[in-house]
Amino acid sequence: MRLVIARCSVDYVGRLTAHLPMAPRLILHKADGSVSIHADDRAFKPLNWMNPPCTVRETTDDDGTVWTVTHGKSGEKLILRIEEVWHDSSHELGPDPGLRKDGVEAHLQELLAEHITTLGEGYTLIRREYPTAIGPVDILCRDGDGATVAVELKRRGDIDGVEQLTRYLDLLNRDPALKPVRGVFAAQEIKPQARVLATDRGISCVTLDYDALRGIEPDIPRLF
Amino acid sequence: MKFRVERDVLADAVAWTARSLPVRPSVPVLAGMLLDASEDDGRQRLKLSSFDYEVSAQVSVEIEIEEPGTTLVSGRLLAEITRNLPPQTVEVSTDGAKVVVSCGSAKFTLITLPVEDYPALPEMPQLTGAVGSDAFAAAVGQVAVAAGRDDTLPMLTGIRVEIEGDTVTLASTDRYRLAVRELAWKPENPDLSAVALVPAKTLADTAKSLTNGAEVAIALSGTESGEGMIGFEGGGRRTTTRLLDGEFPKYRALLPDSFNSVAEVQKAEFIEAVKRVSLVAERNTPLRLAFSEGQLVLEAGTGDEAQAVEVLDATLEGDEIQIAFNSAFLIDGLNAIDSDIARLQFTTSTKPAIITGKPAEEEASSDYRYLIMPVRLSS
Repeated sequence: MRLVIARCSVDYVGRLTAHLPMAPRLILHKADGSVSIHADDRAFKPLNWMNPPCTVRETTDDDGTVWTVTHGKSGEKLILRIEEVWHDSSHELGPDPGLRKDGVEAHLQELLAEHITTLGEGYTLIRREYPTAIGPVDILCRDGDGATVAVELKRRGDIDGVEQLTRYLDLLNRDPALKPVRGVFAAQEIKPQARVLATDRGISCVTLDYDALRGIEPDIPRLF
Repeated sequence: MKFRVERDVLADAVAWTARSLPVRPSVPVLAGMLLDASEDDGRQRLKLSSFDYEVSAQVSVEIEIEEPGTTLVSGRLLAEITRNLPPQTVEVSTDGAKVVVSCGSAKFTLITLPVEDYPALPEMPQLTGAVGSDAFAAAVGQVAVAAGRDDTLPMLTGIRVEIEGDTVTLASTDRYRLAVRELAWKPENPDLSAVALVPAKTLADTAKSLTNGAEVAIALSGTESGEGMIGFEGGGRRTTTRLLDGEFPKYRALLPDSFNSVAEVQKAEFIEAVKRVSLVAERNTPLRLAFSEGQLVLEAGTGDEAQAVEVLDATLEGDEIQIAFNSAFLIDGLNAIDSDIARLQFTTSTKPAIITGKPAEEEASSDYRYLIMPVRLSS
């Protein structure tokens, strides 16, 4: 990931046009090619951005450097005119373990969504992979009283998972249509520290039995 | 390295080898296809190889060598290029760290990957026997349809290959249906007894793609856990696959040997009718079959939604029976049998039924059996 703090102006040319006047901002250029521009406020939304697939071309002229970010499919462009660079560093972050889903985790999500009453009687599914600006929530559902519940699923539940769920809950609770949202941390095995943190934050913990979940097949008899 | 080869010969060989290129290579060098031009036993040959640590593929074609050598280039890109070259002689040569492919007035330059980093392909195990390529492809196709697709039950994602002298038995199951096919073949050692569990998708792809030669040679090694491998060779193409670990269920015990009812239906009509009636059967709702003297009534759908019913001619020996199946599993079995008439054998409506093709001679037994578990009549 490349971090550039610079005085820059940004022009977005596509289905709409947008312009950000010259000012110091943070530019992030990530390993997947995406580029985002941030101001010194707000926790989760960049001022402007370009998602992959996209290419970045840097050119220099008398006034400074110009980054032309072109979207591979739509041809939309983001043109950054950079006047003064205060910071330019690159860091290898490697793949993020928090975002990779393995086969069992994906299956656990499928099974729990299908048998949502495992969490309690009267639970109903809203949807799997509920999108938020900071990533998808594994399962969004309603409990027996109609209150909204966000579920974070892991094979091994550790403190990072609880933190992740806490971030989702903060975000979801800002949505007037959904709040109040409470959290359920569900995993095959929950580490003691994770359980302590979750309980402290009012998040309930559920230990999932993968084999039992698989056994609750919708009544289809099998050869063996 | 510099050689000349006909466009079609090169395109076919590259396309076949490219099938085993990993989609998401764990190591970048595995995205490459190895080209090795050399003289072997007085024959000038090009060997193309690909590998993803599970499956390896290698093909050997005759070429005109001007300068022997080895190089490694992006397999996918080479496949795209060779598929689209004009129908003329292709000349391939290395130029420093690049490979140049020219054909007619078209010229492509590809960058090379480091040959030294490419892993050595596994050695072909010792020859175990040979079988006709078309017969093999058909047999594997009949059995692969029943294999499981759930990676959390990996031993069910394979086809069990059982060798007993001059008979090979292929079996696969996903717990809802089981397919078993017996096939004659020519073993190297007539006393050989061996068992291997081969990933179903790979075996099906391999069997289908080795029909260019008349026979497929099979080579099996190390079937005692862990390092087991099976190799197939035919028509200049060879491929190896790692075997699966795990206990395949004892399926023979599941096959009933006595029946209360035996019905026969024209296969093509049966399949059409099942497809039609199943239009109203949603996922998991049963397709109901009622067999009685001279007819089969197919029904699907419940009172509060759409319903469908169709009547077919059928012969029935034994008790009348009402039974229900998952229509997709039923169609898979009917499509796999190779006779015009489908024969279904039942015990009760809650026990598995066997579907076979009606054999040509009355007392002969079918070499293919499809065991299917019924679903509950009321959904």
